[in-house]
Amino acid sequence: MPIEPTSSTPISLSVNGAAHTAEAEDRTLLSDFLRHGLGLTGTHVACEQGVCGACTVLVDGEPVRSCLMLARQADGCRVETVEGLAEDGRPAPLQQAMTDEHGLQCGFCTPGVLMGLTYAHRAGLSADQAVTEVLRGHLCRCTGYAGIRAAVERHWQGEEATA
Amino acid sequence: MTASDAGRGAGPDAGRMIGRAVPRVHAPRLVRGQGHFVDDIDDAGALHAVVLRSRVAHGRITRFDPAAALAGGEALLVLGPDEIERFTDPIPTAWRIPGQLTGTVALGDRTVRYVGQPIGLVVARSRALAEDVAELVAVDIDPLPAAIGLAAALAPDAPRLHPEAPDNIGGRIHFGDDPAALDAVLAAAPHVVEREFAVQRINHSPMEPRGLLAEWIPATGRLTVHSSTQSPHAVRQELATALRLRVDHVRVVTPDVGGSFGGKVTLYVDEALVCLAAVRLGRRVKWIEDRTENLSSSYQGRGQRARARLALDADGRFLALAAEITGDLGAFAIQAGSGPFQVTGLALEGPYRFPHAGATITAVHTNTVPTGAYRGYGMQEAAWIRERLIDEAARELGHDPVRLRLHNLLGPDELPYTTRTGLTYDSGDYPAALRRAAELARERARESTGTVRRGVAVTASVEITGFAPSALLELFRIDWAGWESARVRVNQDGTVTVFAGVIPVGQGIETTLAQIVADRLGVPLDWVAVELGDTATAPYSDLTSQASRSVTLAGGALVRAAGRMRERMHALAAAHLGAPPDEVVLDGAQFRWPAGNATTGWSEVAARGWRGWGRPDPDRIRLEESVDFDPPAITYSYSAHGAAVAVDLETAEVTVEDYWTVNDSGVLVNPAIADGQIVGGVVQGLGIALVEEAVHDPATGRPLATGFTDYVLPVCADVPPVTVEHRCTPSTVIPGGFKGLGEGGVIPAPATVAGAVAAAVPHIAHRLTATPLKPERIWAALSEAKELSEAGELPGAGDDRG
Amino acid sequence: MKPAPFEYRAAGTLDEALALLDPPGRSIAPLAGGQSLVPLLNLRRVRPAVVLDLNRLTELAGVEVTDTAVLVGAMTRLHDLERHEGLRAALPVVPQTAARVAHRQIRHRATLGGSLCHADPAAQLAATAVALGATLRLRRAGGERTVPAAEFFTGPHRTARRPDELLTAVSFPRRPGFRYRFEAVTRRGGAGFPLVGVCVGVRLEAGAVAEARIAACGVADRPLRLTGAERALAGYGAAAADGALGEIADAAVAGSRPPSDLHGSAEFRGDLLRAVLRRAAVHLLTEGS
Repeated sequence: MPIEPTSSTPISLSVNGAAHTAEAEDRTLLSDFLRHGLGLTGTHVACEQGVCGACTVLVDGEPVRSCLMLARQADGCRVETVEGLAEDGRPAPLQQAMTDEHGLQCGFCTPGVLMGLTYAHRAGLSADQAVTEVLRGHLCRCTGYAGIRAAVERHWQGEEATA
Repeated sequence: MTASDAGRGAGPDAGRMIGRAVPRVHAPRLVRGQGHFVDDIDDAGALHAVVLRSRVAHGRITRFDPAAALAGGEALLVLGPDEIERFTDPIPTAWRIPGQLTGTVALGDRTVRYVGQPIGLVVARSRALAEDVAELVAVDIDPLPAAIGLAAALAPDAPRLHPEAPDNIGGRIHFGDDPAALDAVLAAAPHVVEREFAVQRINHSPMEPRGLLAEWIPATGRLTVHSSTQSPHAVRQELATALRLRVDHVRVVTPDVGGSFGGKVTLYVDEALVCLAAVRLGRRVKWIEDRTENLSSSYQGRGQRARARLALDADGRFLALAAEITGDLGAFAIQAGSGPFQVTGLALEGPYRFPHAGATITAVHTNTVPTGAYRGYGMQEAAWIRERLIDEAARELGHDPVRLRLHNLLGPDELPYTTRTGLTYDSGDYPAALRRAAELARERARESTGTVRRGVAVTASVEITGFAPSALLELFRIDWAGWESARVRVNQDGTVTVFAGVIPVGQGIETTLAQIVADRLGVPLDWVAVELGDTATAPYSDLTSQASRSVTLAGGALVRAAGRMRERMHALAAAHLGAPPDEVVLDGAQFRWPAGNATTGWSEVAARGWRGWGRPDPDRIRLEESVDFDPPAITYSYSAHGAAVAVDLETAEVTVEDYWTVNDSGVLVNPAIADGQIVGGVVQGLGIALVEEAVHDPATGRPLATGFTDYVLPVCADVPPVTVEHRCTPSTVIPGGFKGLGEGGVIPAPATVAGAVAAAVPHIAHRLTATPLKPERIWAALSEAKELSEAGELPGAGDDRG
Repeated sequence: MKPAPFEYRAAGTLDEALALLDPPGRSIAPLAGGQSLVPLLNLRRVRPAVVLDLNRLTELAGVEVTDTAVLVGAMTRLHDLERHEGLRAALPVVPQTAARVAHRQIRHRATLGGSLCHADPAAQLAATAVALGATLRLRRAGGERTVPAAEFFTGPHRTARRPDELLTAVSFPRRPGFRYRFEAVTRRGGAGFPLVGVCVGVRLEAGAVAEARIAACGVADRPLRLTGAERALAGYGAAAADGALGEIADAAVAGSRPPSDLHGSAEFRGDLLRAVLRRAAVHLLTEGS
């Protein structure tokens, strides 16, 4: 059985506000396209089965497991990744809250957690809902979720991040 | 920028860094997606590997034919058993058990012994393409009868895995009192509680699976490997052995590591094959383990059974504790081998007084993936046996479980104390921690409601930390170095670089080490950079960040190294100012000599030092201090844990509603990092207690939980708030007074949860001997109790559903 | 792992999609939300020649509430189903069931049609579709047919959908006087799969059950209508609820064929079915009135 040739097609999409056009093989996952096609390695891949949530990005504002979306499906879409959260070189308040509250240890699940919680905050969910409905879709093996919950509390209370 | 710049953060608190909950120094980078994990390294031009694995649990490879894979040109290399055998040697085991004859893990063996065992490697231009061509390699394996699980491997007619291990027994050892003497004490005791216990196999499940990028430069004959490992020096040594290279021709670099928990402490066969491929091709070759591989082929933790007996006198005083422990090595005794089972025996007694105690450990080969280190190994299994037995004794004899524990706990005036198995506990107040946990239990107990039954329990345990004096390892004939080394360098601009052999795997060690050095030097934290994880620059470290030893041993070394550096900087400053050394004080970025009304900058002193100006000693010019620290003894942390659980009688679900710990790990460098280690450990313990289980099909040996849908990790909804309280008894053997805490969270958690379940549904308490306490297991026990009750054989249980 | 090679085709209209499926020949996997299909592609357990992306077929997304039924387009996302005001008023059990699927991130992508066509025997919405007596609209090039939900599911991950057909819409009838409740016991973990779930509907007359509709998931190789339990439930009222529910649950278990697997034996699932049925019935007969 010979290996069938696979076709590539250029796709255009906006990532963190910047327009990109790049070739994507039909079978390429959005996660791999972002990481290896565009070099945006902040989005992590930890299961490729849609369970762990590490690869979560926002596509047209909605949270998406980027390992469960084909790159070609994102053609013409507006994608946001962890690299786009900081504003003017300063960490976004949620990023600062995660830092201050020790919401991460190894940091591998963190980009997905941040994107999930960014969605939750924008969608107007309460801090409780952010945990029970969104954080619930993310696996973290290090923190026991305590620091992440503390970061959610801090961020949702809108406290000024301490320097 | 120089250290004298005010912007660098010299403030009134500069220098007082131990005990401060500062944010992790790497967090700002990681929250911005600027992690640097193996798969993040620029891999332009690198080739991609896929590992070929056995699909049968036991068999002989009769055919390995790569022709079809190579025919189209997409496969650039296919390694099979022949080529692997020709170019490699086996990977040696470090920790053996008496009688052990299987001391290596073979690479090119034509006999396969577990599903998932690497048998070959395919390299292509992309991962997807490598997976395509891997499907074209023709492999035939003649199946042999397989021994799946301990019972099957120990059956009289069991298939034999290794000719040199008859009856599949990989070795046996006894610790503590002689078995005959123990039997005599147990036979004469007024009360004996006996149970059969089991702890399931666990997959470490780091969020980042294993992976490596190997580069061989033919011209220089040097191999550089970026690997998501916890142990770069050990991996370098093992790689050199496996690939027949000089150690100094192999460099292992660990970039960011996305969790490890004991799962990345040794060289795996598949990793060696990736490096072999790089050597054969003279190219960069990359392999990232996928989750299916991780859950089925990465070495696992735990996997043991025990028959255990606790003897008590009429007053509830412990008379003896005895256990026969059977450990599932899997197909090979890997690096730590039977170590986890041996630690179970050594740590069995915990913080209690036992006039007699002992354990016999039998290590058994089975046709499943090997087991090895997992966070808290041996100690968690020991706590499971001991604390469950104590709860059962209390229930059977009508004692209050807290009072029974307090009655038998070692008091502060009894320390140091040597257990029957030879562990010498250094310091602490074990009863005080337990009393506090029991007080919290009284405050937090909640009533049962309807078909939801509630219970609370507390446990006590100790944690071996700062493992271990090298002489002790020599005594046990464990082929590891126990010591650590660390180096402090004050750079020409006054910044400080710290080198240590321990490894950051998310635990925050780069932050705590920086705090220790900043504190001892008296400089701001952000002057200090910690460099870890590159065998080209890091001090040698064999055990690195395992066994709760990073802060204790590397931190202990740095307390001394930074202390010496502080003296040298003060002496240089004093010489420069013409002052007596003891009259010079460091105030922010300035050295001041108040009496002489003179100052000089820290960075100026550093610059002069590197020029050799004013040096007191011609043989000691560069501003570096390196200290080797071999701990004189193990130092023991301890804790009391408490849990409140709810058991739903209708669905048999156990919910942990509250959890608390009272912990003593001596001097804490960063309390927030300490809490993170403890809470993270507790939640991994909840995983063992309730949901995680690496199951193999008993007939085929195939792993059944190969994704996170089936290998269930705790999610935030499963995790209660965890209260962490600290006490502080400084270590007497570690500079700085530190004790480790990386594993204390996980050790007692399953036993604590089970104790609370037993309190909630006492009529099935005797059945709570195996983890995980998944709903079906609870349901089976409840159903059995209900049937017995209906048959009139178990009065008092009743139909709990009302 | 990465998917085996396939050709990606995105249909712009339903007709275009149906034309691609006709005539059948190459294996074509319709891609809806992708939350079940893509993991299987990634594991190479499913290896279609073509992946046919339906996500641009906005014509298949939406909810239409009439006096007699609720018509839901197959490409309606579960999250949209969950929060649709008209649906919440007309048939609240549908959004209630949808909200029990996994978590928000999954529900933002997963679609009703994708979930039903994936035909996981434990899938929540399939049980509710069967209990409600929903009909599924299947289109092919030049034709359409409707299939009752109870006949649509033919086995684990097997349905009556032919390779040249697409599920376009699901019609949930509004039965006068009926109230429904979905209850499930969910496996722990990030995926949130149900072990056993049940959708119970009752029409009460004078405080007693005049008519019942019950279907369960996770208790057979497909979602199962439990007619024995329906008959047993008929006639019972709130006052009798406590004592009678045991018999009703027994009837339900007698009519089920639970599987045994890693997450539970058949016997255990049988007891869970009793538990969820009791919960649903108690809710409908007491709290819900």
